[in-house]
Amino acid sequence: MRRTVAVLVALLLTASAGAAQQKVPELSGYWGPGRGVKPDPERVKSLPPNTVVLNDAGAVEFPVNEYGGLKVKPSALVAAKIWKPEDDMSISRVCQPPSIVYAMQGPFPMEIHQATQLIVLKLEYYDMVRLVFMDGRSHPEKVPHSKVGHSIGRWDGSTLVVDTVKISESTITNNGLNHSDRVHVVERFWLGPDGRTLFGLQEFEDPDVLDNRGARFMAWDRVPGEFVLPYECDPSFALNYSSETRKP
Amino acid sequence: MLSRLTGALLLASALAGATVAAHHSFAVFFDDSKNIEVRGTVTDFRFTNPHGVITITGARTSGGAPETWRAETNAPTILTRRGWSATSLKKGDVITIEGWPSRDGKNYIRMRRVLRADGTVLGAPAAAPGTDPTGEKR
Repeated sequence: MRRTVAVLVALLLTASAGAAQQKVPELSGYWGPGRGVKPDPERVKSLPPNTVVLNDAGAVEFPVNEYGGLKVKPSALVAAKIWKPEDDMSISRVCQPPSIVYAMQGPFPMEIHQATQLIVLKLEYYDMVRLVFMDGRSHPEKVPHSKVGHSIGRWDGSTLVVDTVKISESTITNNGLNHSDRVHVVERFWLGPDGRTLFGLQEFEDPDVLDNRGARFMAWDRVPGEFVLPYECDPSFALNYSSETRKP
Repeated sequence: MLSRLTGALLLASALAGATVAAHHSFAVFFDDSKNIEVRGTVTDFRFTNPHGVITITGARTSGGAPETWRAETNAPTILTRRGWSATSLKKGDVITIEGWPSRDGKNYIRMRRVLRADGTVLGAPAAAPGTDPTGEKR
């Protein structure tokens, strides 16, 4: 009797493990240029209070002084107001990559390489590579800040949830508004019903810069057999702009 | 006194953050409510990220004296998928560049498409900003 129960329990555990594994989708592959999508109403409802959904994902960008509903703290707003766009067109700055806060929503492709304990997001934009640790570890205290930060992930059913901290200060909206190095980003990735579209929801909060939270809805399309291309940013591009003479 | 201190702190914070901004923005630099068309002869073509640059000596098709114009393209990684390459243009080619003008009045354009002298379009044309999933920015 005991043996029978033990066998049944073992079978049940095996079946449960199999079912759990089946729920984890295969995200590996090339995902074509990112784009903005209409926010999913159900997911919008599930966002924490005080969250604004930005509509600048994909090809859209905000003009100067528009931040899509983000409530910017006074000190950050001062910085954004004195920002001059031409300052970014210099050899020393034009090839500085943005952080993942801005980079993920851009109209560029990425590759995903998925293993059980590690998922790699290889972005074409600025050749950025993100490591998402899936082995249950926590964020280390001493890990240095970087534009990709430190990411840990988990599966919530068939949704990949990625939590990222230690992100270096960088732009949020590419028009003068920067996040601080205390920004906290949570992303969710899930496949559409046909498995050919990857949807993403980025949420971020920054106690030094924002009085509310931001969110973006994004999507990428699966294209078999493709790869991201080297970006290899060339800073001398900035000289073309600075060499122009202002017309009267 | 307090307001001065607060102001100084705000300014210090602002200046501290002023060195970290990165790549330039389409919406900030270019006016997507206007169109510009310039025809001329290619004098230089660079095909590197973050943007390619076409330099021509030419004039607006609406008229004007020949001048040097530069047109910024999409990221070459994006253009490569549209059939462009580093040899798509060479010095001496006569082309027409359609695009969006720089907001600051410089002879600097954001390219939407390029037509060769025979009227053929180089690569696949891009749509207006905000509507093209392959992107007009960066």
